[in-house]
Amino acid sequence: MGQTVSKQRKIGMPKSLKIVPDKCTGCMQCELACSWVQTGTFAPSKSVIRVNVFDEEASYAPYTCLQCDEAWCMTACPVNAIGTDQNGAKLVSEELCIGCHLCTLACPFGTVFTLPKTDKASKCNLCGGDPACAVACPTSAIVYEESTPAGDWFGPWSEKVNKNYVAANS
Amino acid sequence: MATQHVIIGGGPAATNAMETIRELDQQATITLISDEPAHSRMALPYWLSSQIPAAHTHTADAAFFQQLNVDARIGQRVTAVDPNGQTVTLTDGDKLAFDKLLIATGSSPLDLPVPGNELAGVQNLWSLGHTQQLLDATKDAEQPRVLMIGAGFIGFIMLNAMHKRGWNLSVVERESHVLPRMLNADAAGMVNSWLTSRGIDLHCGAAVESIAEESDGSKVVTLDNGTTLSVDVVIVAIGIKTNLDFLDESGIETNQGILVNEQMQTNLPNIFAAGDVAEGPVLGSDKKEVHPIQPTAVDHGRIAGTNMAGETVAYRGSLSMNILDCCGLQTASFGRWDDTSDDVLTISNPTGLVYRKLIWQEDQVVGALFAGRANDMGMLNDLGMVKGMLQTQARMGAWKEFLQENPFDIRRAYIAAGVPQQLVSSTLLGRPSQPRKYRFGGKVSAVQANQSHTVFVDAKSS
Ligand SMILES: Cc1cc2nc3c(=O)[nH]c(=O)nc-3n(C[C@H](O)[C@H](O)[C@H](O)COP(=O)(O)OP(=O)(O)OC[C@H]3O[C@@H](n4cnc5c(N)ncnc54)[C@H](O)[C@@H]3O)c2cc1C
Ligand code: SF4
Ligand code: SF4
Repeated sequence: MGQTVSKQRKIGMPKSLKIVPDKCTGCMQCELACSWVQTGTFAPSKSVIRVNVFDEEASYAPYTCLQCDEAWCMTACPVNAIGTDQNGAKLVSEELCIGCHLCTLACPFGTVFTLPKTDKASKCNLCGGDPACAVACPTSAIVYEESTPAGDWFGPWSEKVNKNYVAANS
Repeated sequence: MATQHVIIGGGPAATNAMETIRELDQQATITLISDEPAHSRMALPYWLSSQIPAAHTHTADAAFFQQLNVDARIGQRVTAVDPNGQTVTLTDGDKLAFDKLLIATGSSPLDLPVPGNELAGVQNLWSLGHTQQLLDATKDAEQPRVLMIGAGFIGFIMLNAMHKRGWNLSVVERESHVLPRMLNADAAGMVNSWLTSRGIDLHCGAAVESIAEESDGSKVVTLDNGTTLSVDVVIVAIGIKTNLDFLDESGIETNQGILVNEQMQTNLPNIFAAGDVAEGPVLGSDKKEVHPIQPTAVDHGRIAGTNMAGETVAYRGSLSMNILDCCGLQTASFGRWDDTSDDVLTISNPTGLVYRKLIWQEDQVVGALFAGRANDMGMLNDLGMVKGMLQTQARMGAWKEFLQENPFDIRRAYIAAGVPQQLVSSTLLGRPSQPRKYRFGGKVSAVQANQSHTVFVDAKSS
């Protein structure tokens, strides 16, 4: 039912959003695209992908929900409003969400919010299998592919931010 | 032979254990006994505020129990547990045998020991029944006058629901400020003035002496400072106690709650406990505590269910956490937010409605407190990341000093200290979690067709 977000998808291994921080220039195209497809307005504040702008460390990187295998948001929800689809995306049902914020509190990545207007939880849903952020990114800093474990890019990125910060401040 | 599991309770701890056992063992027999329908108490405020129907709070129904092949005895209570005979006794006299027993009986509100507490119109507000009772008592009044005794976390959630309905509200709290177990005096001061400006009549530092009834049915509540208040309904929300009276002779070890180890096992190896009634391991501490919150009940239920089904998983411990909207102001607390050590970072800007506090032990964040305008995206982002720091018990190293100087730049410290990377490998059960199968109204998960998306993606890729 209702699974008709643009185009046909290839059926295969679950894909995930892979981020390549070194390629990100901080242009915010992904935020604009995301807010447009998720809420119909070009308002980066409503985007569920967020670009980190670390100027001092010369590092930029978009950041969004990992669609964890063992999703803290989903298990915490008291009314089972968060389910999954065939892409492994954790989806909030607006009809079921009561706006209690427990998912926001439970997600340790800080990637599920409540939209002030609707008072419903909002998070990345992988656009039903064709993420607009990856389409929008001009430098392929966001790629949607069958990849090594989700989040494997965190480690090197953390090290770089840490190292560059120390270098810039010493 | 198939293992016989008996589960007492129908809250989130019980239903999560039930589903976990069934996921791992198709053959086992499962019996669930609960005096209330299976539901989430957390959803009650949204029924009270008339945002959802009562059934939306339910987490299982007869068809779902049947689908899981669970024998559900709804409306029954367990009156005794016999660990030697391995049986439980029900109110209807039935005795059920068990191989593995889960006690997930939750907690109940305390009564107020003052004259007049037995009057009609003086009630608790904790269960499906209480919520119905309040809705019935107020259905004819245009703007019912409700007094809440006790200004704690759960009381405030219900207060917020009544505020949404436009009721006339007052609060009496014995301590010197509201939310005494959730907020410190500074943050509570902000909440106090916010609530007052929203028309809520607050009486802090005062205790109720008596309640009397007028001829027109109103209740007159007398405080120890001489104030009297006239209202239609009095709600008693002064605290909770764990539901373990029926275990008195059982030999199961209890303190505030039923003592459990990291597998949610009691001192008797085939008896487990979970949720509000359990006193279990705490993240980053050797002490055991009762954490009467939904996420702990879920964790406990899933850990207990896994171990009862014969696999072995150990719980790292629960993290105390609360988030609360009070009439447009949002507060959130984590871990040892009330620790009195002086290694703290506090930012307080009452006029800008900003309050933040991080409590440190060496270079680890061990507690946090936030208050701000409801749905402030910046705050919501940051509190998730602070939860990540607590959950991983990350050593922040030099980034502690950075945060002391840049308290609003949590993201940079969070990433540089490698918290997300540590989180990726931290799981509860070490296997993918399944979405719970029961959903109100049978709603399925699907991304809805979305015109904006089609336009955008097609334009870009052509
Ligand atoms: C109004 C309200 C709002 C809340 N809001 C929040 C919130 O925002 N965030 C949060 O984290 N937590 C919140 N909580 C707390 C949360 O609901 C509890 O922590 C959670 O329900 C505990 O789950 P449980 O399964 O341990 O127990 P419960 O949900 O209490 O379920 C126990 C069940 O067992 C039944 N039972 C008890 N004894 C017996 C017996 N002898 N025989 C048979 N059945 C028995 C009880 O009737 C009950 O149905 C709220 C609670 C209330 C009341
Ligand atoms: S919102 Fe958070 S907890 Fe939920 S799947 Fe995404 S990263 Fe995991
Ligand atoms: S805010 Fe909505 S989706 Fe999130 S936990 Fe609450 S009901 Fe579930």
